[in-house]
Amino acid sequence: MHETRPAKITSDVVTLNDGHLKAMPLLLIVGAIGLGLSLLLTGFNFERFSFIYLVNFCFLLSISLGCLFFVIISHLTRAGWNVTVRRLAELFAMCTLPLGLLFLLILVPVLFGSSSVYSWNAPGWSAHSVEQAAVIADLPAEVRPPIEQEKGGYLNSGFFSVRAIAYFLIWGAMGWFFLKTSLAQDESGDVGLTKRMQALSAPILILFAVTIVFSSFDFEMSLSPLWFSTMFPVYFFAGAFMSGLITITLTAMWLQKSGRVTDEITTEHYHDLGKLTFGFIVFWGYIAFSQFMLIWYANIPEETFWYRYRMEGGWGVLSLLLVAGHLFIPFLAIMGRTARRSQKFLAGAGIFLLVMHWVDHYWLIMPEMNQYTNSFTFNPLIDIPCAVGMIAIYIAIFCYVARNRPLVPLKDPRLGEALNHAVH
Amino acid sequence: MADKHDNDSKLVGLLAQFDDPDSLVSACNEARLAGYKSMDAYSPFPVHGIDPAIGIQRSLLPFLVFVVGFGACFVGLGMQYYTNAAEWSPIFPGYAFKISGKPIFSLPANIPVTFEVIVLSSAFATFLGMWGLNKLPMFSNPLHRISRFKRATNDKFFLMIETKDEKFNRSETESQLNQWGAVAIEECRQDLTDNQLPSWVRLVGLLGVFLLMLPPVMIFRNMGMTNRQPRLHVVPDMDWQHKEKTQVLSPVMENGEYLFADERAMRQPVDGAIPRGRLEIDSEMYRGLKKDYRPKSAASSIKTNAQFVSASLEDKKEAPAAEAEDVSMWLTKFPEGITVDQDFVERGQQRFNIYCSACHGYDANGNGLVNQKAMALGANGQAQWTAAKSLHDATVKDDSKNPLGRIFDTITNGRNTMGPYGSQIPVEDRWAIVAYVKALQQTGIKPLTAVVDEDAGGEDDKKSDADGGSDAEDKTS
Repeated sequence: MHETRPAKITSDVVTLNDGHLKAMPLLLIVGAIGLGLSLLLTGFNFERFSFIYLVNFCFLLSISLGCLFFVIISHLTRAGWNVTVRRLAELFAMCTLPLGLLFLLILVPVLFGSSSVYSWNAPGWSAHSVEQAAVIADLPAEVRPPIEQEKGGYLNSGFFSVRAIAYFLIWGAMGWFFLKTSLAQDESGDVGLTKRMQALSAPILILFAVTIVFSSFDFEMSLSPLWFSTMFPVYFFAGAFMSGLITITLTAMWLQKSGRVTDEITTEHYHDLGKLTFGFIVFWGYIAFSQFMLIWYANIPEETFWYRYRMEGGWGVLSLLLVAGHLFIPFLAIMGRTARRSQKFLAGAGIFLLVMHWVDHYWLIMPEMNQYTNSFTFNPLIDIPCAVGMIAIYIAIFCYVARNRPLVPLKDPRLGEALNHAVH
Repeated sequence: MADKHDNDSKLVGLLAQFDDPDSLVSACNEARLAGYKSMDAYSPFPVHGIDPAIGIQRSLLPFLVFVVGFGACFVGLGMQYYTNAAEWSPIFPGYAFKISGKPIFSLPANIPVTFEVIVLSSAFATFLGMWGLNKLPMFSNPLHRISRFKRATNDKFFLMIETKDEKFNRSETESQLNQWGAVAIEECRQDLTDNQLPSWVRLVGLLGVFLLMLPPVMIFRNMGMTNRQPRLHVVPDMDWQHKEKTQVLSPVMENGEYLFADERAMRQPVDGAIPRGRLEIDSEMYRGLKKDYRPKSAASSIKTNAQFVSASLEDKKEAPAAEAEDVSMWLTKFPEGITVDQDFVERGQQRFNIYCSACHGYDANGNGLVNQKAMALGANGQAQWTAAKSLHDATVKDDSKNPLGRIFDTITNGRNTMGPYGSQIPVEDRWAIVAYVKALQQTGIKPLTAVVDEDAGGEDDKKSDADGGSDAEDKTS
């Protein structure tokens, strides 16, 4: 029998407790140890370390951007079902600004002229060998290959830094706007605040689209400055939203397990989050294949080389792993209703998918490290400590952002709808 | 229709009306708990919780769609494989048609079609499965004869308990429904005459089937007879396309001059163009030349590919200069990639017997059937024929004068009056023939006629003279 629940919060605890906040220094220490260990095991090879750092950074950034998109799209569609999980997305979205600080480790060397990560930061990047690059580097600027001169207008350390800072400020402002307004509503219960967020969500979505497009060009695609794909940002976005949804799901489960917001998030919400995740698994596969097939079919060497790198040796194995693990296995695994309504199963699938999403970014970024030799780089001793460390820092950031703030919107006008949400 | 007497109609259930969804759901729950199974609820909009209330199981449909979609994946792939790459099928074999050097079957290109086949099949499975599971189409439902029921699409809620339910009892069920809050209860009766089709339906159906058979019958009839009428052109611009075919004159321009100076509609390939897959950069394999050989003049008829493009322009202008042949340019061993073994030589024998033996003879003595006949005609002055060469000749056999590469070149481009076979015999097969010819020469096989003569009493000398005769022919050409 269907009962209508009153539109009010009934959980005893709706914030993180002191234990979580006390864990923050510990998490930061884990992060520092992880990063330090990783750097140590590279033999203080800063290039190798920067690349794995960038992989983890982009992995975490995509999660935050996925959550930011979740917030924007919720307001744009005036969604009621997800009100109880929206605050988690708001908190994760707010993490983009602190993540900007983490990007300084990449950005500052670029400003000082390092081309170890972003090869376009030094002349000769269009060469096919080290020797050729050295020859080009010796040429006067005006006789360098036209592609370097033309792309140099966009890919240079100054403009890159301006853009990078702008992205983080814009995302931070968006996250801050939604979080602040939503927190203000917790106090006042003013419906006007919801209307304001709804009205602004449309222009914000446009700005979000522009920033995610160019940031994915800048942070990941420009690692291979000769290559280009207009599909790339969509690919980045597909993975980002999928991982954002999973992160919201897993965080909600973790919070409920530790006795928070136990009443507000129900199987119905997990079921719907699982459905969206399922949809974006398929979307990711669709975009990934579309990008691949267009390039494969056109067979233009300027585009195919990027995939050729990723089809050989260890990278080829990784590519197949992605096809299976990022698409087919999770597709079949969480296709069923029963699977999506089982929290344990969904949690397992979510963790598996996050690992695959990490592999996805590894696959996007790491092959560009040895651009002339294309050797397989996976080394668990370097990669895993770095990943563990970065994730620990990210959790610490989340705990800091969440602090003693309510983990559900307390007085959202659609709270009742979310609490009574039921799907068949 | 017929009057509603008890004899003509059958009770199929009791229909109870409720005024709001909540009382409908609670009544459904009560009915389910009371043990009723054959019942259905009707409401103007989907009511939350009604499915578990009337005990509806999860639909089979998603599983059905999954199975169909999964199967469609293989059907889609298989269909493309069959139409593109399958030549092995004993009945209706496919035809592997190579286009622009692309692979016959390549998975990425087939994914979009497979995807679409999955989507289409799943959509059909969903739609038809929904109809099937709902037992549609249902042309008549006794509920529609109850005027009260019309408000089920408007503002009222109904629960029908069917008589086929084991627990159904006319009076007891009615009192239960009343107890559960029914506002009104009505009998739902099925008019038994409903089951009988009006007589004209059958007639119209038969007529329809007959009419449907007409087109195929007419088509089959026309397929089996001749017709004086011109062919029917259904899509004229497919039948008469605005295009120039091969080997026709180029379109005439207004001032009476042809569009192209060579007056052809079909353009020639650009000079130096190399067909896909025919780069043939390996001179040893494709031309029997040593790797480091470079012709002395660009006008030479023998070219390596490296020079082919640059030389091709001059190539057309003058005939190949009579450059003195440098025997050292020919390959003296088999090229890399050719393994000479039993199978290879046997392949060479088979090819030799097909292509070469007609003139040169099975034993390579230059006495093939064509040669014999032509020589006979030539003796009468009815034909001009230069005798085919015996491959057991000293000059032919001599590796220093006629190395392997030169034999290969002879097969490919012909020599003297012998025509070129390069366009007919694939490269590996030409090398196989070379191998077989060398094998023949090394065994020093005696002329077949000599063998026959030996058996008959031995007249070797006579045959040796014949060999000498064909030697002389070499000098003439």
